[in-house]
Amino acid sequence: MSREVFVTALRNSLREIRNICHDVKFSFLFTWDGALVAEDAQAEGTMMENAVHLFKSVAEKAVTIGGLDTLMIDGDNGRVYISSADDMYLALVMSKDADVAYLRSVTRVIVPTILKLLESVVPTPLKFMPSQQLVVDNLSGFRSRLAGDTVEIDHEILKQWSELIDGKDVNEVEIEAFSGKKARCRVRAIEDSKLVGNGLIRIPEKPFQALEVKKGELVRVKPLAF
Amino acid sequence: MPTQTKSQKQIQNLHDSLEDIKTREGVVGYILRASKSAAVDIKDPSKIINYAALSAAVLESGEGISKIFNLGEIETIILEGADTKILSIIVGDNRLSIFMEKKVDHSTIYKDLNLT
Repeated sequence: MSREVFVTALRNSLREIRNICHDVKFSFLFTWDGALVAEDAQAEGTMMENAVHLFKSVAEKAVTIGGLDTLMIDGDNGRVYISSADDMYLALVMSKDADVAYLRSVTRVIVPTILKLLESVVPTPLKFMPSQQLVVDNLSGFRSRLAGDTVEIDHEILKQWSELIDGKDVNEVEIEAFSGKKARCRVRAIEDSKLVGNGLIRIPEKPFQALEVKKGELVRVKPLAF
Repeated sequence: MPTQTKSQKQIQNLHDSLEDIKTREGVVGYILRASKSAAVDIKDPSKIINYAALSAAVLESGEGISKIFNLGEIETIILEGADTKILSIIVGDNRLSIFMEKKVDHSTIYKDLNLT
């Protein structure tokens, strides 16, 4: 079973949760290390990424209370409920009137059951790579023409991704601008030592224009080839 | 003597309520941070630093997530771990986290803080 089928199955489960509980505005699943796994159609990428980033800092410190089981943020306009589901977390964004006890019981059954079912038909556990926010730098002129559609990022980041996939090379990435524009590009390490360690992604002219980004903007970068 | 403002009264009530709450069975302690001071009462002193860091992270992340999803003003944040849970609230400039065993009913604790 491919990762795409796995994600589609989870996405459908999330949609069903929203169909059962109309007070759920949207939901998403992510791993402990912050990689988004699946989201329902109503969810917006940047919001989820930012929320997961904030959640991670709590989860890291929650080891002091034996790990994080659930987090409920109750505001006067709505609620967010995040609960652990196997080795993932499920986040539900819901209205103020949502019946949390009911939702809790529904999600505690549906999500782990689907995950277990999927795990039983997936030969090896699927790995979800955490995306990275990087600052755009553009490759121009001769270097841009030479690079084609190959972007450059820190060797250290490529190494970390590689370690997560048992030492295999990462040679392709998906770049997502905050506008939602996406591009798939080949990737290699930044060669210019002065630019290393600055959290940059150097993008040649063609994908730079396709993404409609500007120098200094943040983009989300996710490894694809593994 | 100047008259106390509503907010000052609320904070004084909060301190009084906490004195009672901290003695209850299953309540592990609390951390109350104001802009220039902090009151910490945790039964196991070896956990104070870790609990303070966790409390700060919960409140900061809670506010951030609330903004992202337009949840409005935060009423409560409940964090549950394996054996302990935390009730966090924001009252004016004051940020409170009450640590308790998981079995404790946090809604009763919240009610007894008499914040309204």
